[in-house]
Parts: sequence; C-alpha cells; structure tokens
Amino acid sequence: MSIIEVSKLTKYYGKARGIVDVSFGVEAGEIFGFIGPNGAGKSTTIRLLLSLIHPTSGSARMFGQDVAAHGPEIRCDIGYLPSEVYYYEGMKVIDLLRYSASFYGHDSTERMRALAQTMELELNRRISDLSYGNKKKVGIVQGLLHSPKLLFLDEPTAGLDPLMQRKFFNLIREENARGVTVFFSSHILGEVQRLCTRVGIIREGRIVEISNIRALQQNNYKKVQVAADGLNPAAFNLPGVTNLQSENGTVSFFFKGDINAVLHRISALQVTDVSIEEPTLEEIFMHYYE
Amino acid sequence: MNIFRRELRANLKSLAIWSVIVALLIAIAVAKFSAFAGDPDLLVLLDSIPEPMMEALNMRAFNLTTLAGFYGVMFIYFGLMGAIAAAMWGSDIISKEERDKTVEFSLVLPVSRSRVITAKALAALANCISFVLITWAVSLVAVRGYHPDQAFYDFLALEMQAMFGIELIFLAIGLLLGCAMKQYKLSGSAAVGIILMTYFMSILASMQEDLSFLKYFTPFKYFDAGELFRSGRLNSTYLLLSAAIIAVCVAAAYWIYGKRDLYI
Repeated sequence: MSIIEVSKLTKYYGKARGIVDVSFGVEAGEIFGFIGPNGAGKSTTIRLLLSLIHPTSGSARMFGQDVAAHGPEIRCDIGYLPSEVYYYEGMKVIDLLRYSASFYGHDSTERMRALAQTMELELNRRISDLSYGNKKKVGIVQGLLHSPKLLFLDEPTAGLDPLMQRKFFNLIREENARGVTVFFSSHILGEVQRLCTRVGIIREGRIVEISNIRALQQNNYKKVQVAADGLNPAAFNLPGVTNLQSENGTVSFFFKGDINAVLHRISALQVTDVSIEEPTLEEIFMHYYE
Repeated sequence: MNIFRRELRANLKSLAIWSVIVALLIAIAVAKFSAFAGDPDLLVLLDSIPEPMMEALNMRAFNLTTLAGFYGVMFIYFGLMGAIAAAMWGSDIISKEERDKTVEFSLVLPVSRSRVITAKALAALANCISFVLITWAVSLVAVRGYHPDQAFYDFLALEMQAMFGIELIFLAIGLLLGCAMKQYKLSGSAAVGIILMTYFMSILASMQEDLSFLKYFTPFKYFDAGELFRSGRLNSTYLLLSAAIIAVCVAAAYWIYGKRDLYI
C-alpha cells in the first residue's frame, strides 16, 4: 500500500520556482531517501505534504487521504523533524514535550522518558538554554513521542555529533522495524545509502530519478580501472565511456553499456591490475548534477 | 484547550505589564484630581482655553472639578490603552509563531488552523476582559477616598463597557492583521498605525463640523465619553456597526489564514 502518493505537485512562490511536476510514491514500511542539493525543493515538498503551504497545482495523498482536505486527521499519524528546530523558548523541555503529547490523546510519558534517555536529553532544562544539537534532540523526541506511523526527517543529522547520529540511526531503524514508514530527506549521501531502500533524486525542483539504491548502483555506469604495460588510453575509446583518464600506465574511466565490450578490449591486453566497481551514491549523484 | 492554556500563560507577563501601567496612570491621575476637586478657579481657567482645543481633548463635555467629569476626560486614555493592548495581543498571538519560526512545530500538530485561531483568539479575549476588570477594580479602589455617589459608579460601569467595546474592535482588527499579513514583523506596527490614524480621525471629527462624517470610521467615536455622559447608555447604531466590523474582521481572519502559505 502506498503511504504517500504525490502526483504532479507544483509550487511556485510568486514567480520563484519551488518544485515542478513532482510525482512519486512511498510504500508502507520503507525508508525512502529524498536527495538533492540545497534549494532543490526538498523542504518545499515536505511542507506541501504537511500542508504548511499549499500547492500551485497537483495533489498529494497520505494514508489514502488528500492532504489539503484532511490535514489534521493525517497529521495524527505523522512525526516531523524539521531541518532547523524552533520551539517556544520560555518553556522547559518536559513541558514542551507534554504539550506536544497532549494533542495526540494517548499517554506517552514512558516513551518520552525512554526516548530522552536514549538521546541523552535533559528534560528539565529550558529550551532557550539549549545548544543547537540539544534542540535537535528535543526535535527527535518530540517527533517520535506519539508513535507516528510515518516519519518525515529533513536533514536530521545536522548538529548531532557522530555518536548521537549513530544512536539516532539505530532509533530510526528500530522504528522502521516496527513498521514505521520513513521519508528521509538529505544531501548527505552516505547516510541515505546506509539507511534507505529507495531514493528519489530532486534537482532544481524536478525529480530526475526514482530508483532502488541497488538498481541505481547496478544499472548505472561502472568505474573501471586498468593497469597494463605500454597502455594506450585510445584503446578504450568506446561508445559509453566517459571521464577517460590516464596516469602512470593506469587508465580509468566510467562506462555505461554492455560491459562485454570493455572486457573484450581488456582481454587483448597484458594487464597487471583490473578493477570494475559500482559507483558510490555520491558519484551517481554528482553525475546527475553535472 | 491546551493551546488556550499555553497562550494564557505565555501572555501573562504582557497582561501584568499593561495592568501595572494602567494602575499607575489611575493612581497619578486621581492624585492630581485632588488638586481640581471642587475648585471654582479651575473652571474660570478652563473657560479661557480656546474652544477647538477643548473639543479636541473632549474636555467641553465635562466638569473637571467633579469626579465623574474627571473620569470622563480620563476615558480616552483607557480607550487608547485598551485599543493598543488588544490590537497587539490579537496580532502578536498569531504572528509570533511565524516570527519565532515555531509554525513548523505548532501547525504540524494534528489541529486545524481554525482551531488554532479560535484557541488563540479566546486567550487574547480573556486578556482583554482581565484588562478591563483590572482597570475597573483599580479605579474603584483609587476613588474610594472621594466617596463618590451612585451616578459616578454607573458612569464608571458604562465607561468600562465602552473600553471593552473598543478592545473588542481592535482585537478583531489585530487578529485579522496577524492572520493576513505575510510580513509578520509589521503586523504589530500596522495595528498601532491604525489605532493612531483612527484616533486622529476622531479628533478631527469633533473639531471640524464638515469632517463629522469621519465619526463612522473611527471606533473612538463609537464609544465617545462625552456622548456616554450625556445619554447614559451605549449608542445602539454604533454597537451594531461595531459588531459588524468585528464579525467581518474575524471571518476574514479565519478565511485568509486557512488558505494562505505559512511563512517559514
């Protein structure tokens, strides 16, 4: 079942482009990565889904209901961790969390304690006294407190130290194992690669690729490196070869197409070393952005 | 209910500050009144002030040497303070969420925007009611020493109703500005601007005969202390007009806030 269905969602801020014709779906129980550089429209998409802003055209459904018409009902089952967290400065952490929990109609005191303990969050401090990273922890606890079925994470690791990042990822994996669907927006590809099953890549407001991470890596180009004596780089001037570079008798290039064509050329050589690798997500990503 | 309670608590400090200001104003004014009370020389002095000036300050209607007359002149301060406090509360209670960037928290909670406005408007209304009651109570305590008659108490009650009326109108205007203005930083200033503009309109309306039509455009004329003193009751035409303004502003606030993009 699709938890999120977005169809031809478009948002212009006056004349400025937000997102254009964005369509994708997120299935129940998956961790969907949403990647793109700053200003590509990641946050705009999330804010449209949460009906903080309204689309210029197109529509979106979550849990099968239209987000514009059923916002409050839909949001009962949603947890949101914004990229920058802001809370009422004068309140204590515990009061803010209780306030937030009071909207969801079930007692979450125990879960609050457990989450705060995991994230090493002090509940009795005032929000205004917290550092950026600690505010982020409040955001994590607040977003997860009411046991949402769908989580929106917008660049969640900014401000967290590596240890906390790991705890946070474990927390997300645990939630996911319980069946929680996760929409994970980030420009840090390493973390998307670690966590997500599928990714959507957004660029200048448009979706350029939606794919399984494995498939993205497999069906994409390969990184090929060949070292041989008296090697002439021109030997690899094949269709599908890009970024051909030669250095100290080693030729490296990217290749997309039937790998046999490359193997043929290699077999004609007396090679000392060969490697054919899948590119990292980062390299694929850069490829989309060139 | 939780939003209402939180807002009440968040606005308590502001209410306390306004209350202290109005209490100080009353205390100082009543202390000054002791110099005027029953002094015939003052009446002679007042007679020498030019007529338009007296009109502008709304002093012609009142005999400053009596407590009721003195309170009649005081009313404009209550009205202005009530208007400013109410407009600020109304606009701030909505726009602060965008100013402090807390909308990404407060409006992602499972509540509709209209429920948010309702809870916040009620909290601001509770503040306005408290402000009138505090002004009233402080007045009652401050004038005790003069042993005022029943007529004074009736007039004071009428003034406080009028102050509440002014508060309600500007609360509605403030709410509309807070809901409608995307330049959330300006909504408070815009509200105060409207108050000053309508206040000067009310002065012009009483000074210039041919500008008297302005009285329909300024809430300060709907609740004019001189008229209240003369008639002893609130004018029903103006009450209807006030109700219409409030209804239009509140409805527009709900409508606009419901469909606009939040500024994040």
